[in-house]
Amino acid sequence: MIRHTEIHGVISRLSLLRSICVACLLFLSFVQNGAGHAYSDQERFRKEPPYPDPLLELRLPQIETATLSNDLRLSVLRRQRQPVMQLLLIIGTGESASPENAPGIATFTANMLNRGAVGLSFSKVIESIEAMGGNFTATTYPDYSVFSFSFLEDYLEEALNILSRMILQPAFQRVEMDNVIRTMYFDLVNKNDSPDVIGKRVLRKILFKDHPYSKIAFDETVRRNLDRRGLVDFFKKHYHPNNAEIVLIGDLSLQIAARKVSRYFNTWTSQDVNRNALPPPKPNQELKICLVDLPDAKDARVYIGNTIVLRNPNDYFPLTVLNQVIGGSAHSRLFMNLRESKGYAYWAFSSLEFFKTSALFTISERVRPEVISESIRESLREMQKISTSIVPSHELEQAKSFLIGHFPLEIEDSVNFLDKLSALRAYDLGDTQWRQYYKNLMLINAENVFDVAKNAFFNTPVIVIIGAIQILSERLNDYELNVYDRSGKLQYTINKGALE
Amino acid sequence: MIITSVLIKSSPKLPRKGFHVLGCVLLGALLCLEAPAQEEKPFPFDIMTYELENGLRVILAEDYSLPLVSVAVAYNVGSINEQPNKTGIAYMLENLMFQGSKNIGHMQHINFIQKIGGNLNAVTEEDKTIYYQTVPSNQLALVLWLESDRMMSLDINAQKVARTQNSLIREIQRRKISDAYFDSTLHFDRLLYPNEAYSHPIIGAEEDLRELTSKDVKNFYSLYYAPNNAVLCVTGNFQKSKARNLVKKYFSTIPRGPSIPELPLTDHKDSDDTVKTLENYTAQSPAFHLGYRISSPESTDFYTLTIIEYILLRGRSSRLYEKLMLKDFTARQLNGGIETRKNLATFKLFVRSNTETMMERSQKTVFSELNDLRSDLIDEDELERAKSMFKRDYINRYAKLADRAIFLVETYLAKGSLDGIATEMQRYIAVTPSAVIGIANRYFYKGRILLNIKIK
Repeated sequence: MIRHTEIHGVISRLSLLRSICVACLLFLSFVQNGAGHAYSDQERFRKEPPYPDPLLELRLPQIETATLSNDLRLSVLRRQRQPVMQLLLIIGTGESASPENAPGIATFTANMLNRGAVGLSFSKVIESIEAMGGNFTATTYPDYSVFSFSFLEDYLEEALNILSRMILQPAFQRVEMDNVIRTMYFDLVNKNDSPDVIGKRVLRKILFKDHPYSKIAFDETVRRNLDRRGLVDFFKKHYHPNNAEIVLIGDLSLQIAARKVSRYFNTWTSQDVNRNALPPPKPNQELKICLVDLPDAKDARVYIGNTIVLRNPNDYFPLTVLNQVIGGSAHSRLFMNLRESKGYAYWAFSSLEFFKTSALFTISERVRPEVISESIRESLREMQKISTSIVPSHELEQAKSFLIGHFPLEIEDSVNFLDKLSALRAYDLGDTQWRQYYKNLMLINAENVFDVAKNAFFNTPVIVIIGAIQILSERLNDYELNVYDRSGKLQYTINKGALE
Repeated sequence: MIITSVLIKSSPKLPRKGFHVLGCVLLGALLCLEAPAQEEKPFPFDIMTYELENGLRVILAEDYSLPLVSVAVAYNVGSINEQPNKTGIAYMLENLMFQGSKNIGHMQHINFIQKIGGNLNAVTEEDKTIYYQTVPSNQLALVLWLESDRMMSLDINAQKVARTQNSLIREIQRRKISDAYFDSTLHFDRLLYPNEAYSHPIIGAEEDLRELTSKDVKNFYSLYYAPNNAVLCVTGNFQKSKARNLVKKYFSTIPRGPSIPELPLTDHKDSDDTVKTLENYTAQSPAFHLGYRISSPESTDFYTLTIIEYILLRGRSSRLYEKLMLKDFTARQLNGGIETRKNLATFKLFVRSNTETMMERSQKTVFSELNDLRSDLIDEDELERAKSMFKRDYINRYAKLADRAIFLVETYLAKGSLDGIATEMQRYIAVTPSAVIGIANRYFYKGRILLNIKIK
């Protein structure tokens, strides 16, 4: 097993050799050009890219955690000289916990949280948050919900005060409920023309069929599920300190944070909450091609995906490398093949979304409709290739090098950083997963990637194509096509050109 | 070599809320419009500036939080420098800067950066063009090599110019389709700014772009893309001495360019109210553009004007947003704020409504709110809220390394140095209620430019 420091040492020695080579080249250049520089005869060092220095270690602050007397978990990530402080409230329940007959309730409840409290109107909440130079957002994931609150560092007490009033004295006023329902409705209606929203919604509905995760794929008809009773029931059932965690990011110690948080949240009482992890959704095991008609679309959008069962949390790293090899960037296989080599696609990428015990792998492409069949064939070929043959070492190293270089950039962005941090806390992954990110990635070899690829049912994905059905269907005559509406309801089937 | 080192020392923290008592504020206002500067709060990073012999100004700002570096190169040139009938050349050059130089192939700059997990982009504005990238810190030399090569020896030929021309003309056509108010915005800018140099769009006019030759672009490049017309900034995780050696290695032998011709600066025209209407406009909904010509960014009034922007427009509790979008629901879109183009600044608003009646009501609300600002002293809490929002946005301008590099080169270009940068925020925070009322009366009393858009 190679330790991180040893890797660093190897790179340092290599770098020393490189430095010597570069010094020799520079000396030769000096001899050739003479001491005086002539612009027309350019310096030798301009001809080739310079060698990189040794990679610097990524040092991330440790997360310190305590549990308060009411079972509320509190974590502090100490970052000095940060003029803006961040607070995350994570509720360990997400959209998958919405009642069976009422998807959307979890999202509705989260969206209602900052809409006032007893004796505090919504406009007063907004004024108070903005007086702190603050920003408050609510996001509902399948397994958990996150309230992200940033504010100028001097306003921690005010931020905790207002958050505690939202949690401990929610008003859930009718007028605010109507406003939230209206906003959710129009947001969803406005997204109905977006091929990206439609594609991902239909893909999720099909892949998560019969699994609680399917509730995340709701559309504007969710409006009829949203009422005060459902909201209050959901809040009472899930919003308890033993199902929550507060994470503070800023220049303060865990001890001070605990004192301040306790002061505002000590009357929040625990209650029995079902926190059993859901079983992972079963991967799709038969290739399925689905079409959604967007008659005016000039090109076709393709979404190819399948769920992956995580055997353990360590699958995260080989899967991340796998995703990078196949479609993580413009230098990955899909982009190079479908765009650069064949010219079928404007772009082609892949992504991974991790859940507690599973992941969703998705390829997204924008392709020319006249080559839709060829694009799908090539995409499937790439998926098959990665699950039947070992990734060559140079490609593996390039993927790892990209990921290592890009990770600090990702976490430099506060939204991405908070996203990753909330997933880390909600899934109890422990901070070594990211504090040792470089080491964990460096250790991944081609066999690890091959191993997770074989486990991934890449030969039998669900394919959702969004575009003008008239143009697309005749080019897909070789396949059985399932035609869905924009909300993900099956309309009819075309079996190799014949309507059924 | 001129070397200036600006080490910003830490100082005690600001009291959370200062100068609150209204009576004191009013008394102070009788003596001066701005309260005395508050204790300064330091930047969370040190800055060093120096200049190479060829005139390249260099800013180094270390930050060891993450193993990253950002490099920004800003050229003091934008669409304002374009000659009549040659519009779009600055933006075209921005595109060509990614298409290869003497030692770097077509699009290789992008490939080099992306392969190592980095990000890059560029922006052309009326008065500057900035190229920036963030990469793992061990790749600083690579970025300096790339940037120096395109500063020194950009490869411009007829084929590349023709290809870029076509792509930019398509972009203009796309923008016209995707933004129904593209034409009305151009029309409005012509009413607001004193001449075509200030008002023409950065992307250029289609007919001008068609006529541009590779010789035009080469001339523009030779004149403006020289070290003596640029500022280079490196932010992030590096050792100053090593970075200075690298900057020297890659940039010091780039020859100084010719003297940059002085831009004939123009002032705003004084005028009474201007009201125009575009009838039968092709768009989904009626709208209006409203503008005021305000003081130049260098004037002290600018601090108060910026806070007024926050009082009116920034945040959901700002006066216009709350009234138009949350309470009366008469507008479905509200954009605007202060815009600067070199030495000129304007305050612009764009409001779109569902119906003409709604549009008229929105307009009345806007004028009524501006009147209130001119007649009633702003409540201290509301002013503090606007300042907090401003402060957050100001801090965010240098939160990420690339943003910080852009912030520093922009400030350097605008002010000619970074002197006083640590106390700059305090000048905004020191704005008083009486300053708000005084400045509102000075700039929002007359001279409004209003362009109504009536749809077919």
